[in-house]
Amino acid sequence: MAEIATKLFSWLNKRLPIVNTFERHLSKHPVPSKVNFWYLFGALAAVTLIIQIVTGIWLIMPYSNTEEQAFSSIEYIMRDVDYGWVIRYMHTTGASLFFAVVYLHMFRGLLYGSYQKPKELVWIFGCTIYLAMMAEGFLGYVLPYGQMSYWGAQVIISLFGAIPYIGESLELWVRGDYYISGITVSRFFALHVVALPLVLIALVFLHLVALHEVGAGNPEGVDIEKYLDDDGVPLDSVPFFPYKVLNALVAIGVFMTVFSIIMFFFPEGGGYFIEMANFQEANPLVTPDHIAPVWYYAPFYTMLRAIPDPLGGLIVMASAVAIFFIVPWLDRSKVASIRYKGIYSKIAITLFGVSFLTLGYLGTVGVTEIRKTMSVICTVIYFAYFLLMPIYSKYETTKEVPERL
Amino acid sequence: MITNKIDINIFKNKIFLMLFMLSSSYLYAAEGGPCKDYGECDVFKYSLNDIESLQRGASTYINYCYGCHSLQYSRWGRVAEDLKIPEDIFFENLVFDKSIKPGDLMIGAMPEDSANWFGVAPPDLTLVSRYKGDDWIYTYLRAYYEDSSKQYGVNNLVYPGTAMPNVLLSLQGNQKLVCKNIPVIARNGGEKRDELGKTITKEKCGFLEVEEGTGQLSKEEFDSLIYDLTNFLVYIGEPSKAARERIGWYVVFYFLIFTALSSLLYREYHKDYNK
Repeated sequence: MAEIATKLFSWLNKRLPIVNTFERHLSKHPVPSKVNFWYLFGALAAVTLIIQIVTGIWLIMPYSNTEEQAFSSIEYIMRDVDYGWVIRYMHTTGASLFFAVVYLHMFRGLLYGSYQKPKELVWIFGCTIYLAMMAEGFLGYVLPYGQMSYWGAQVIISLFGAIPYIGESLELWVRGDYYISGITVSRFFALHVVALPLVLIALVFLHLVALHEVGAGNPEGVDIEKYLDDDGVPLDSVPFFPYKVLNALVAIGVFMTVFSIIMFFFPEGGGYFIEMANFQEANPLVTPDHIAPVWYYAPFYTMLRAIPDPLGGLIVMASAVAIFFIVPWLDRSKVASIRYKGIYSKIAITLFGVSFLTLGYLGTVGVTEIRKTMSVICTVIYFAYFLLMPIYSKYETTKEVPERL
Repeated sequence: MITNKIDINIFKNKIFLMLFMLSSSYLYAAEGGPCKDYGECDVFKYSLNDIESLQRGASTYINYCYGCHSLQYSRWGRVAEDLKIPEDIFFENLVFDKSIKPGDLMIGAMPEDSANWFGVAPPDLTLVSRYKGDDWIYTYLRAYYEDSSKQYGVNNLVYPGTAMPNVLLSLQGNQKLVCKNIPVIARNGGEKRDELGKTITKEKCGFLEVEEGTGQLSKEEFDSLIYDLTNFLVYIGEPSKAARERIGWYVVFYFLIFTALSSLLYREYHKDYNK
């Protein structure tokens, strides 16, 4: 029996690089021996992506992408499909937590300079994943066809109309109709379940391949490739499998505990994960009192609202996401990690974090004059963090980075 | 020179941030609540395991509300099953249309012309507890008051100008808006008194009071009727909610064990490279 298994395996291995891949990317893939909790969110993002794909497949089965049945098919899933509510809440909770872990993962990147040479491409693939996620999340939010789906889509699609010359035709082309209708729902469905998941999976693959080529970073910003043992393996490294896999497993345990507490006890997340108005079917004749995006778009929505001119708002909002792509070339620091950077970088990243959170809060509440002023100031701080980076990261006194981890 | 300038900017930024925080929390508190003229909504705490409360709520709903308000995403048989009412008793007593089968949706007996009667079509209420919230329903149904300027002679503090008449008026009795003399509260938290030790009072309006003897139920009985009704609406908004909260404990427990075991395993392997 064992002989047959060995033979079969060797037959397979001669035709498919099983052992090679396993060794290269897992059992012999060196990763820094000392990292902190910030380095676990990437694995959690991968777990969430898998959850979204699997629950998504099961949601497609009973979901109906027509104007008449989209909303009621969700209630059908919640009531008549056995454990349909489990699958649906996993998907809604997963969406919010996907963004939560990705935001933390990105912040880790900013903290420890995970974009610095030679990791520019890893960073750019990551930014593209984030961009695709934003589109994916928006398209998915329209599918239940509740009030917030409808009016949120109305606001977002009308943004295209602000583009000069081609705006109006583009808006019509995206929507497929003169107003949001079943046509919009069914095309968003196609994009949400086929097109963007394909893009996301491809990008995640590239993100990982590029990462494994250049090697993972560490919170000290130490280059572990400097000191190698006789076999050419970095001294300050451990094999990814089983050490880091086990580390990730603990993180997954904690994450899934939080995930299940939210999913089973607070699935609406206080109206931030599933907005209350979305339990009402889309009604083109009634505008909700207060149109708020889900929390993960809130910071960018605030920027959009802070600028009185629609085109200006659109440009600011798009730049806020686009600016992430050029971070590798904005940072002129000699060191990677915030631990060894100077005081200006530390203050800048703190202000950036606070302004991002404040922008997020402002996006979920109504507009007043003071809040508008606050939005503008926070937007300025947000951009100042990036645009002034070439200056403050270059002209500050940095600490010396140790040779070894 | 450059450093000085940046320091000043940082200082300015800090002040701005502090201002943001203060003004934002202040403004949040000043925003009008969902219960409008009533003020803060009364707090409602659902008890989905209290089957008797749900049964009473279902009965009130079907007798007083279902004529106009359908429950279009819910099925008759599911309600009977979840509320542990034997199907024959359920269909005998609560389902008036004898052609209805257990698998049918509760799409209601709403007459076509109800929109003409009330100005708007009475909404379906399957999900009302989810888009309005249980606190809101519980407060709204108890906040009707006499207002002769309105079409049905009543108005509502929670939903001023509501199109729905007070269907439960005969049970609740005639509720009015009254003014009362209430004690003025001193800065130390006690009642303010004058030199003779008499409590100083101030007239305040907007209190709801039921005219005695006009309703079939006492205030407590009526509140408890609305409690059961709201509880039923919470159930119908999400029939699997009780199961969700029950199963949730097991899942969370499972992942806690999972975390404990995986961290033990991790620590064991960790010894290999970190002695």
